[in-house]
Amino acid sequence: MSRRGLLLAVIAGLVALFAVPLLTDNDYVLALGISFAAMSVLAGGLNLVWGYTGLLSFAQVGFFGIGAYAAVLLVVDLGWSLWAAVAAGAALSVAVALLVGYSSLRLSRHAFAIVSLSFALLCAIVARDWPDLTRGSMGIPGLPPPTLTLPGLRWRIVDPADFYYLLMGFAVIAHGLIYVVVTSRLGRAMRAIKLNEPLAQSQGVNPLSYRLLALSLSAALSGVVGGLFVFYLTIIDPSIFDFYYTETMLISVVIGGPGSFWGVLASSAVMAALPDLLRFTTDLRMVLYGVALIAAMLVFPGGIGGWLYRRRLARWRRPQSQLQPQPPQPKAAP
Amino acid sequence: MTALLQVRNLTKRYFGLTAVDDVSFDVEAGAIVGLIGPNGSGKSTSIDCLSGFQPADGGRWSLAGVDLTALAPHRIARAGLTRSFQTVRAYDELTLLENLQVAAQENDEIGWLPSLLHGAKVRAAEAAAEARARDLLATVGLADYADAPAAILSYGQRKLLAIAASIMSRPRLVVLDEPVAGVNPTMVRRIEAVIRKLNEEGATLVIVEHNVDFIMSLCRRVIVLDQGAKIADGPPSLIRSDPRVLAAYLGKAGAEEAAHG
Repeated sequence: MSRRGLLLAVIAGLVALFAVPLLTDNDYVLALGISFAAMSVLAGGLNLVWGYTGLLSFAQVGFFGIGAYAAVLLVVDLGWSLWAAVAAGAALSVAVALLVGYSSLRLSRHAFAIVSLSFALLCAIVARDWPDLTRGSMGIPGLPPPTLTLPGLRWRIVDPADFYYLLMGFAVIAHGLIYVVVTSRLGRAMRAIKLNEPLAQSQGVNPLSYRLLALSLSAALSGVVGGLFVFYLTIIDPSIFDFYYTETMLISVVIGGPGSFWGVLASSAVMAALPDLLRFTTDLRMVLYGVALIAAMLVFPGGIGGWLYRRRLARWRRPQSQLQPQPPQPKAAP
Repeated sequence: MTALLQVRNLTKRYFGLTAVDDVSFDVEAGAIVGLIGPNGSGKSTSIDCLSGFQPADGGRWSLAGVDLTALAPHRIARAGLTRSFQTVRAYDELTLLENLQVAAQENDEIGWLPSLLHGAKVRAAEAAAEARARDLLATVGLADYADAPAAILSYGQRKLLAIAASIMSRPRLVVLDEPVAGVNPTMVRRIEAVIRKLNEEGATLVIVEHNVDFIMSLCRRVIVLDQGAKIADGPPSLIRSDPRVLAAYLGKAGAEEAAHG
């Protein structure tokens, strides 16, 4: 697609997304949109870390949950504003991400995968077993609707439509940021690191710093999503670190194609809708879900992004004769 | 005047085995130096150490007076010593142009934030890198594939791309690890011509090879390793008749036969 066509498609998509609450007050539709907004940012963060820099990370749900707990505790216990609490939660997530990343990446990216998984499990244990801070496994139910204050504006976020705008608005910003990173020369270096780490090193690219950058950005975005989404849930408890979120992110990235920005965005939308599209049959729902995933992997090994890449390869391989360097033509006789 | 690359007493041990044993040599700016030796003589280990991919157990080395000992690979590359790999490496999913642009982007001192904002300075640097990349692709005969993913290249073409990538950042010194291993004779001549051209344009190269004829025709100076130690260092004419080199390659009996026959 041309750059102009892409821009038009993005604008049309944004207009459509933001028009949804005007067209319907159906809570169910809005809930799907909110879930898409939140999950797509988590998947986008994982894609940045795994799809672009090659680090399989199970830690993303930890950044999400830490952002959520920090925001809730700062708002409920200390009376902070939502802005400040969410920002602090994101900052805490980044600090933790740097700690997890720096300590394990000095060994290898495999060590990182294991440490990230342990970290996510540890988060849930801390949330459950530190009741003085987190209220333990009971959690904090009945979270009050948060208020966003901007100069000249007080926005009490109560209705699903409010949460829809809040989370969709942040999702747009988050994906915009990710897009800027992955299409910049930094994104090019990240892909180089994933595709061939020693070669990248031999060209002056420092894998550790790019990976920490990707990890920090994803932690910040996931932390903010956690801090916002939790008030929509109206309850926080250790299940905010549930493997369900990790699973959803992983499936979105795998089906979308690691390293494919648009692929992962598209698959996030499908993954948000699919479980509910299958709701017509409660008995077979999970079976059909599994069948859909297997079918997707058979038709699109490497995800949507992998399919696009293979098409690109085929295009270059097919007209081989035309692409071969042409032998110099003999000069025409005068 | 001091040499561009100075290697002093480089040593690398794997448990009981000394893979590189107290090797010292200099490389003058503008030279093409061959590094040869039988299998297991320590050639690859030496350059893995010099480029930071293996920690050395002893010795020091410097490039243009800058000490490179024990630096990380990316720091050694930024200091101006780049290398290619024996198992030819490329970023398969990136285009040839992107393959080369990555190779240059850590040398232009542009930070992360400006890179994201994509201002005039970044655009100028990217345009300059693209122009150089297209020049190099033309030099190695891959200009028609500039926008193709590297995965479509043949083995020999990948070797050419790797040479272009190793020279992309205008390093002070390039080490090519077996640039013609496993390549057909036509491609060998093409790679030889490319290396000569790059050298004429000012590149200093160290070439590690098994193909002795290739080295002897390309280099005015050859260093020979055997069992980790340097056994000869000089012009090809002397190397060819050096009894220790003959013994290393042909065995003692073979060397005597060659000397008398």
